[in-house]
Amino acid sequence: MMKFLFMMIFMIPLCFMKNMFWLVQMMLFFMMFLFMNLNLNIMCFFNMSYMFYCDIISFGLILLSIWICSLMIMASESLFKLNFYFNFFLFNVIFLLIMLYLTFSVLNLLLFYFFFEASLIPTLLLIIGWGYQPERIQAGMYLLFYTLFGSLPLLMGIVYIFNDLNTMTIYFLKFFNMNMYLLYISMIFAFLVKMPMYFVHLWLPKAHVEAPVSGSMILAGIMLKLGGYGLLRVMIFLQEVNLKLNYIWIIISLVGGLFISMKCFCQVDMKSLIAYSSVAHMSMVIGGIMVMNYWGFIGSYILMISHGLCSSGMFCLANINYERLHSRSLYINSGMMNFMPSMSLWWFLLLSSNMAAPPSLNLLGEISLINSLVSWSNISMILLMMISFFSAGYSLYLYSYIQHGKYFQGLYSFYVWFISWVFIIIFALISFKYDNFKGWFYFYLILNKK
Amino acid sequence: MFFFILTNNNSNKMFFLFILFFSTLISISSNSWFGCWIGLEINLLSFIPLISNSKNLLSVETSLKYFLTQSLASINFLFMILIKFSLLKNFDMNNIISIMMNSSLLMKMGSAPFHFWFPNIVEGLSWMNNFMLMTWQKISPMILLSYYFNKNFLIFMIIMNLIIGSLGGLNQTSLRKLLAFSSINNLGWMIFSIMISENLWLFYFLIYSMMIFMMISLFFLMNMYFMNQLFINNMNFFIKLNLLINFLSLGGLPPFMGFMPKWIIINFLLINKFYFLTFIFMMTSLIIIYYYIRIIYSSFMFNYFKMKWVNLLMKNNMSLINLSSFISISSMILSTFIFM
Repeated sequence: MMKFLFMMIFMIPLCFMKNMFWLVQMMLFFMMFLFMNLNLNIMCFFNMSYMFYCDIISFGLILLSIWICSLMIMASESLFKLNFYFNFFLFNVIFLLIMLYLTFSVLNLLLFYFFFEASLIPTLLLIIGWGYQPERIQAGMYLLFYTLFGSLPLLMGIVYIFNDLNTMTIYFLKFFNMNMYLLYISMIFAFLVKMPMYFVHLWLPKAHVEAPVSGSMILAGIMLKLGGYGLLRVMIFLQEVNLKLNYIWIIISLVGGLFISMKCFCQVDMKSLIAYSSVAHMSMVIGGIMVMNYWGFIGSYILMISHGLCSSGMFCLANINYERLHSRSLYINSGMMNFMPSMSLWWFLLLSSNMAAPPSLNLLGEISLINSLVSWSNISMILLMMISFFSAGYSLYLYSYIQHGKYFQGLYSFYVWFISWVFIIIFALISFKYDNFKGWFYFYLILNKK
Repeated sequence: MFFFILTNNNSNKMFFLFILFFSTLISISSNSWFGCWIGLEINLLSFIPLISNSKNLLSVETSLKYFLTQSLASINFLFMILIKFSLLKNFDMNNIISIMMNSSLLMKMGSAPFHFWFPNIVEGLSWMNNFMLMTWQKISPMILLSYYFNKNFLIFMIIMNLIIGSLGGLNQTSLRKLLAFSSINNLGWMIFSIMISENLWLFYFLIYSMMIFMMISLFFLMNMYFMNQLFINNMNFFIKLNLLINFLSLGGLPPFMGFMPKWIIINFLLINKFYFLTFIFMMTSLIIIYYYIRIIYSSFMFNYFKMKWVNLLMKNNMSLINLSSFISISSMILSTFIFM
């Protein structure tokens, strides 16, 4: 595990040399393939070293973060062509990857918090440094202050746990039961803000829309999953209080997911629509974690991974449209099938995965989550039915508005295809299908476990 | 400070600087309260010549204001010492006389609610004098505070410090006043740390003064006194990065070095079960980060108007910036090593 950390640290001097843009991206792909070949064991912690470990959740999320970081660099080729501080951009991406890798793989809860907060700084730099509109300043402030407001009580909770239990190792926390309401609220509030839950979700549309494509990809892909990972870790010693209080979070997130799905229909900005759909998906993830059954955990983990891939891919596609038409509005981006018909294949595949159509991994996650939430309460069937229905609705709405219909008469000319984009999308989809097969395999294992 | 004195051909102030250092040592190492008072008086007397410059009317006025407030506090301190010795011969720390003694020392430091002179005077001083005022002048009142303090009174003062330091800086555009309010806020953290142990205070104080030194030396070399000056300078990339890292570090954000003292103080707060106080520490720290980020907007945005008539002559002073950049960036890595 340390070997990957050192590989990333030594990529930092590589970012500042001349003509190393594509080499860094290839090295990240290489690291992803190296990481995939670690021995994987589902039911325990493995690869333990001095301060690192890996279990199934960490493994998947680290893999996702390395993957998305390499795709981020590929998608930001225009920074390299236009020579817009790409050295510092590469440093930012590698630094963010190191922080994310360390967040998911350290054994110590305080170090988890340390790197959880540290991953905010390069994200903020990405949004404000390479974003496009002047509103990005406000977006950066919203991101920073919403997440800091949530995570400062988390620091208090972690230090309280240290003083009480005299240990911070995540593995040992399962032997304790902290039965305190205030501790519960302070520990999970940070992750609920990060997920985001409905009432504290305001930072997400702003940050996703104002960020450049790399910032949007990493935000949608991984930063939301930090909240989910934190919840999965912290719930272990908060189970008793959670059983008393989880209905609050489940109801807020499910009803909120419903409202957000309906709000998606009102969006004109493509990226805004994808951002709100992220909130709707994450609302189901929160519901799945909070009910605390096994299907809920598994379903939320699978939905996190699949949503990471799917959302990043959609932001990448939205950016492809933005680079050619310089607008993200649905009024202008219509009838793209006339110009880029092969692009409509990628839009269709990603949007069908977004609406959880078979055989995507999202379907597996949503089925597991629906199963777990309905087993918790029958009434959640109504909410889940409407959330799934509306997610199909707005995905189809986005697809048909962008691809079908008459194109905008104000278009003059733009180049149609660019070879490196093919690789991004192919890789995104291949990873989808690969995870698909893995996902269905695990599903089979889970079924047999019962 | 030495650097400034030597470059400005002002070596007659070196004498006063040495006496300033010795006065603090007299104050903190004396066996009797009279010795403490003598140290404080010599401190005042030697600081006045350092800050007053007879050619500049503003600095004369500033030094007069400083003299008046500090001598009031010293007289109050002396009076309370005499009352304690002659009338009350007890050693109990939680009584009214300790409140009076602590108040006079808090006024010497510029802590709330006796802080009204502090932003005013900081506005009238140059950057290097500000550095002495914000760091060195706090040492002896702090240590004297730790010898005889009233716990409940000091906790109330800490809360006032935090709130005034965070809310006071929201409407400021002068960089000196911003750092003054941030100094008042950090005084809250330091007063709490000195109630726990002097070692802890020393740790916080050293890291704080190092961060303040890096920022003040940056502003001094760029000759920046106001927030609008941040946007019209042709800062090169490392200076911007240095500014960014320093301010985020001062705000206490991980992964920078400034997170470490705050984390340790939160640890001691929670050991001693000050839960609500910890919450106030966190939330005021959030407000402080807000106005720090307003300052470092200029370093977040990579392309802004670069005026051609602003010529930054930095050829003789690059070593200080390089050193402070190196310390700022390596402190990130060092702070992760501390945790392992």
